[in-house]
Amino acid sequence: MKKFWCLFFMFWPIVALVVCAMAPGMNWWFPGESNSPIGVEIDGLFNLILIIVTIVFIGTQIAFGYVLWKGAHIQKNEKALYTHGSHNLEIIWTVLPCVVMLFIALYQMEVWAKFRVQSTFDQDAVSQPIAEVTARQFEWRIRYPGPDTKFEGKADITDWLKNPRPTDLYTVNDLHVPAGKNVLIHLRSGDVQHSFFVPELRIKQDAVPGTVIPIWFNVDNKTKKYDESIKGFSYELVCAELCGWGHYKMQARVVAQLEDEYKNYLLQLQKEQFDDGVSAESDDDEEEE
Amino acid sequence: MSFRLINSLIVLSFICCSGCDSLFMSSPAEFKLSKRTKSLHGPAKNAVQRNLLDKFGTPVDMKAWERFPINYGSIKGKVKEPGSSTNAFSVSFNNEQEILPENSILRWLTGSFAAAEEDLFRDIPIESYSAETGEIVLAKKLSEDPKEGDQFIINPGFVLQHGRKLYMTHCLHCHGVSGDGNGPTSEYLNPRPRDYRDGVFKFTSTLSTEKVSHADLQRIVKKGIPGTYMPSFMLLKDDELEAILSYVQWLSSRGELEKKMVAELEADYSTAAVRSRKKEGETSEAISKELQELLSVEFSETVDGLATEVAETWTRANSKESLVVPKISRVPDSPESRQKGRELYLSNKAKCATCHGPKGIGNGPETKLFRKIPGTNKEYDQPGLFDMWDKHVKPRDLTRGIYRGGRRPIDLYSRVYSGIKGTPMPAFAGTLTDEEIWHLTNYVMSVPFEGQSSHATETEKVSQK
Ligand code: HEC
Ligand code: HEC
Ligand SMILES: [Cu+2]
Repeated sequence: MKKFWCLFFMFWPIVALVVCAMAPGMNWWFPGESNSPIGVEIDGLFNLILIIVTIVFIGTQIAFGYVLWKGAHIQKNEKALYTHGSHNLEIIWTVLPCVVMLFIALYQMEVWAKFRVQSTFDQDAVSQPIAEVTARQFEWRIRYPGPDTKFEGKADITDWLKNPRPTDLYTVNDLHVPAGKNVLIHLRSGDVQHSFFVPELRIKQDAVPGTVIPIWFNVDNKTKKYDESIKGFSYELVCAELCGWGHYKMQARVVAQLEDEYKNYLLQLQKEQFDDGVSAESDDDEEEE
Repeated sequence: MSFRLINSLIVLSFICCSGCDSLFMSSPAEFKLSKRTKSLHGPAKNAVQRNLLDKFGTPVDMKAWERFPINYGSIKGKVKEPGSSTNAFSVSFNNEQEILPENSILRWLTGSFAAAEEDLFRDIPIESYSAETGEIVLAKKLSEDPKEGDQFIINPGFVLQHGRKLYMTHCLHCHGVSGDGNGPTSEYLNPRPRDYRDGVFKFTSTLSTEKVSHADLQRIVKKGIPGTYMPSFMLLKDDELEAILSYVQWLSSRGELEKKMVAELEADYSTAAVRSRKKEGETSEAISKELQELLSVEFSETVDGLATEVAETWTRANSKESLVVPKISRVPDSPESRQKGRELYLSNKAKCATCHGPKGIGNGPETKLFRKIPGTNKEYDQPGLFDMWDKHVKPRDLTRGIYRGGRRPIDLYSRVYSGIKGTPMPAFAGTLTDEEIWHLTNYVMSVPFEGQSSHATETEKVSQK
């Protein structure tokens, strides 16, 4: 019976391993292939950590199994071993994880810096942010600078973030970006904490009340299908910070478009936003004639 | 030790779940009667309740009254001729039908199957339908051939049911089961979620005397109402949006009918009215008898008439005549036009400043006055303006540049032309000319940017494009 329990408890880690090994192939749980270059690098880090954790998992499970198995062979009259612990063991299992952690910390620094440290950002993208995204309960409000706006330096951008301009264009839950180049948006919150999460682009950034946080990304649409109806490639944008009763409602989309289509989109948006209910009507009438 | 810990955790989570249960599930969802209905004399109240139950059912067991122009999703038709076997026959639909939705079901309205006691042949799954031959094949054999002219309905209330499900998921926690704007989270919101039962909607593109149009509702649900807690539901699919709107319109029609029925009975048969009539010497038997007669003879006709009135307002709101269309296009946005707008804004003719304040921050003298509660002699305990739902409402702070009804020039034009329904913001269709409204619009749109001289001219460029 004792041996049965040994085998029983060894059986489950093995099942877990088999299932995990099958997961990527069967597309279980994994977020699919990344559609941004930085996403590929982040996936690299993820996989590295996954491998390390797997090795540790196998090692510890074998150790556990060994201890169990040995315990199962203890005779009834045998006395338990009394120990004050082992210095050597303590040192090994403190130092080893430290080394591994340190390695991970150093190894990921470059990717982290690329993603989060503002001085490393692509200056072209920084100098012309494409939108301000405001998370609020329970939607994403988006403000684009007018299509003709050219920012003149950092102060001008700061001013734009503080003071909306008459030419700005507004949408909600629908962020359009040009594909295939580095773009920058400014994220803020209108009320509580939210998190801007685009799983397929591997972007996750908290929106914190009171601060404006720049996020850059680059959508390369590597594995994405073109969606004719929206003239672009659509990615799900969700909120990843429980923010209230309607948290689940904060579903939106990021649409990556080719340069021309993106420009057309903004022009169309501009036309709609400045619709006076008369001029557009007459346009329609002309078409009918 | 550790085992006990786990045990108590499990129990804890159990308690949590049953807690939630009692919050949301314990009683089946039901429609509440309005306060005014409850103030009716017993039998009159029961009559209103019975009529609502007859015509609309409950949220669990809904009824689709075809009097209203609501898309319930039902497809009606009749048998043209029996086919090769008892489960196949050719049909003609009231409206041409290219395809039928998957998993459609058929219910007999007339003929021997409809009359049959047992439900055996009531809701029968449809296996296939071909528009070419007009033949329907049922998944089940009937006991005999249907007769020519037998009427049936396909997918009764299909869209309404879909709408109910989506409404419960997305809207209920604010707008409430009965659509009374009293969902569990509504208490914490200002402005409060809309009470659909009045059939009054604020941000419309229709004349001030008309209801909300279908396009307005679509726009509101897709874009949300910026500056309030009405969120955007941009990503709803078209059929989902239509389903939700059917349900909202259904709730709204139900509430309106309730209100109209009460208005019909209130004068003579509210609890208070009955009491004072008794005081004046009428016997309670006489009153009961009179009410009895009224309810048994005329009332069902009255209800029918009231429903028709409600239905007509919905239909009319979608007609071209109800739409606000400026007679001239927007006056180009220039400093002169803004100046004229500014003068109008301060003038006695438009009186905008009396509410919105000279600087547009929503602090005009009207907001300092104490007002009487309508229908009473008492004053509100707070100075300022109140909407038809008796809630305090501030004139909009125009410097913030947040427009709940939309920021297009046509939106602002409609706001001034038709007012904001249900609120003190008046309609200026009669007092101001088109040109004046455009000057005002140009001015209002420039208010948020006052003091930002460097960008002041940018709007001009855009508006002239
Ligand atoms: C978080 C709360 C919330 C949720 C969820 C919500 N609403 Fe609202 N809704 C509001 C509030 C608040 C208003 C009133 C805004 C105002 O008065 O300016 C409103 C107003 C409306 C109006 C009236 C617009 C007008 O012009 O008068 C409609 C229609 C509406 N909501 C439909 C819906 C539908 C349909 C859903 C679900 C898909 C929904 N709402 C979900 C809060 C909510
Ligand atoms: C009797 C007071 C009153 C007067 C007079 C008045 N308003 Fe208003 N106005 C209001 C109130 C109250 C609201 C807010 C209604 C709401 O949404 O609940 C409002 C809202 C508005 C809005 C916001 C619309 C939106 O979509 O958010 C605009 C713009 C506006 N008024 C312009 C004007 C102009 C221009 C005039 C003069 C022609 C005017 N108002 C006169 C009370 C008034
Ligand atoms: Cu959120």
